[in-house]
Amino acid sequence: MNHNLQQAGVKLLNTLSRHADLIMQVYLNGSLDEASTTPQIIDNLVKAGVLWRPESEAGLRLKSAVRNLLESSLQDERNRQIDANIGSALGSLKTLAGHYKEALHYGRFAESQGYLGDLREHVYALTESLGNSVRVLFGRINNEFGYVSSIDAKIRENELAQSQVSELLRQIELFRFDELSDLAGANRELRLLLVVTLQQAFARVNQELSIVQGRLLELLGRFREYRGRTRLLKGFVLHMEQHPGFEPGNYAKLTQVPMLFNQATGVMGPAHADVTNVAHEAELHQLVGRIKALYHTPKPASERTASTIVVQQQAAITVEDNALKKAVEAYFLQVIDSGKRLTALDYLQQQQLEFDPEAWIYQVIGGYQGLSAEEQEYFAIDTTGQPHPIYSGNFIVQDVELGLR
Amino acid sequence: MISEQGRILEKLLSGAFICQISDEDGWRYLKNSGHAQAVEGYLNTLNRTLASCADGDVFFAGYQSLGDDERKVLTNQFQETAAGLLPLVEWLLLVQQAKADDVPLAQGQAIRLPELQTQIEDTPAYKEQLAKIARYRLFGSTSSEVDAQLKLVFKRLADLGYLIKPNQEKQIYLATGKVEYLFDVLRFIDETESLSLAEQAEQAASQGSLL
Repeated sequence: MNHNLQQAGVKLLNTLSRHADLIMQVYLNGSLDEASTTPQIIDNLVKAGVLWRPESEAGLRLKSAVRNLLESSLQDERNRQIDANIGSALGSLKTLAGHYKEALHYGRFAESQGYLGDLREHVYALTESLGNSVRVLFGRINNEFGYVSSIDAKIRENELAQSQVSELLRQIELFRFDELSDLAGANRELRLLLVVTLQQAFARVNQELSIVQGRLLELLGRFREYRGRTRLLKGFVLHMEQHPGFEPGNYAKLTQVPMLFNQATGVMGPAHADVTNVAHEAELHQLVGRIKALYHTPKPASERTASTIVVQQQAAITVEDNALKKAVEAYFLQVIDSGKRLTALDYLQQQQLEFDPEAWIYQVIGGYQGLSAEEQEYFAIDTTGQPHPIYSGNFIVQDVELGLR
Repeated sequence: MISEQGRILEKLLSGAFICQISDEDGWRYLKNSGHAQAVEGYLNTLNRTLASCADGDVFFAGYQSLGDDERKVLTNQFQETAAGLLPLVEWLLLVQQAKADDVPLAQGQAIRLPELQTQIEDTPAYKEQLAKIARYRLFGSTSSEVDAQLKLVFKRLADLGYLIKPNQEKQIYLATGKVEYLFDVLRFIDETESLSLAEQAEQAASQGSLL
């Protein structure tokens, strides 16, 4: 019998491995595309209990046992199923323990070992399924329900997870360690399984579940915050669509302006360079050094093109020599013509010129100084006058005398 | 060397918001109540006071007492804020929808511009929405290209202090505490004007699902 069972199991696993691609395709798609393979293979898989047809019209699907195996081994986050049926598991444990004790009582040792093995299997299965449930919950929390996109869906997922946690906690309360302890009695093997192993699993799961619950609440709070914000934004857009002219009241006019709208304007302007600060000398030098000499300011292209310059004759302006200057010239000419010495004031009187004598003398001296050095050579000029009566070093010119050398 | 206190005072007095994203050192400094009091003392000399929003996570300088001049400034400022609300809200919704995770933008969240651009370019509805947003006076775009519109909107938002670009060479923006300020403003208007915006949105959503 055992040998047959092993043969059948190996055959089943071989079937699975032979059609691994097909099975994974069904796992991912949900149902089998029957055109992609031959009817023979499908028949094989249906017979092996891997695929089944839930309704006559529906497509072929994976049996839930195979699906569960894949989900738990692949740690697929889409796995939302949590096995919380601890009550019945505990019931079967108690029954098996009863069988074991009875067999021991009557001395049927071989039979009792069989029961003990079964019992061990059940206890381990129970602890594993508890650990698995917690792991599934954690997996979903850790990526913040990333497998659904909208916030509302995340909130629903969170609520589902919360209900699963409370269900698990309720089920775990079914563990009655006093009853289990009584059941185990003085038997070492039973105590080890029913009391020690289960209690350890119980304590661990309990602790982890309380963490899960805390995390779920925290996440729910965050999701609700997101949802609140989203609704605020959407509500505002909606409101503006319905009331396009909406304007909030001017809160700055309230006697108590809310802090939110009390924002002071900036008052800081940049500081200025202090050239008398010796400590800044090096920096200022550098700044000055970086200034580039720009001799041409950029001008638009239209202004930079070559243009013709019209050269025009400037209106000629001749400055009329004034009378005083002409008179001085005449005086010089007379000295040259006569070849005699003549004082400036005498000439003034001779010609009866109507100039101020002082201006006349100045102009004569100026006229002489205005000649080129070569021309000055021909004339001798002498001043007559007297020193200033009070201030020494001052000489008052009363007349000048001009002659030829 | 300027002290940390001096640096923060200068920032506050120039009208900047200080949050954990835009200036983590300054934010930590102000979170210390002793330091905050010292800063408050200096600000009071200039008729300013240390104000905060978003549950005390964002700091800025407000007026200590309000005269006519201050009220005039605040009125102008408020009108600007109110006029900018709709474009900003529409932008926030666009980013939230296009980011695929449907999480509203909050302080510290990153926006990868190239990814956002691909999303928007691939979805005609987002494209239209962006074009509408970019045309608002707040942004004032005249371009019809998604690329130019998006760059302009983001640059403008960075100038306004809603976003910062931590690395100049990468097109990744971080939302600052000013986004939280925006939500505070919205909540305030919602409560003060009794708009019940959240209920309106919920109703619209439930009606939409019935159709």
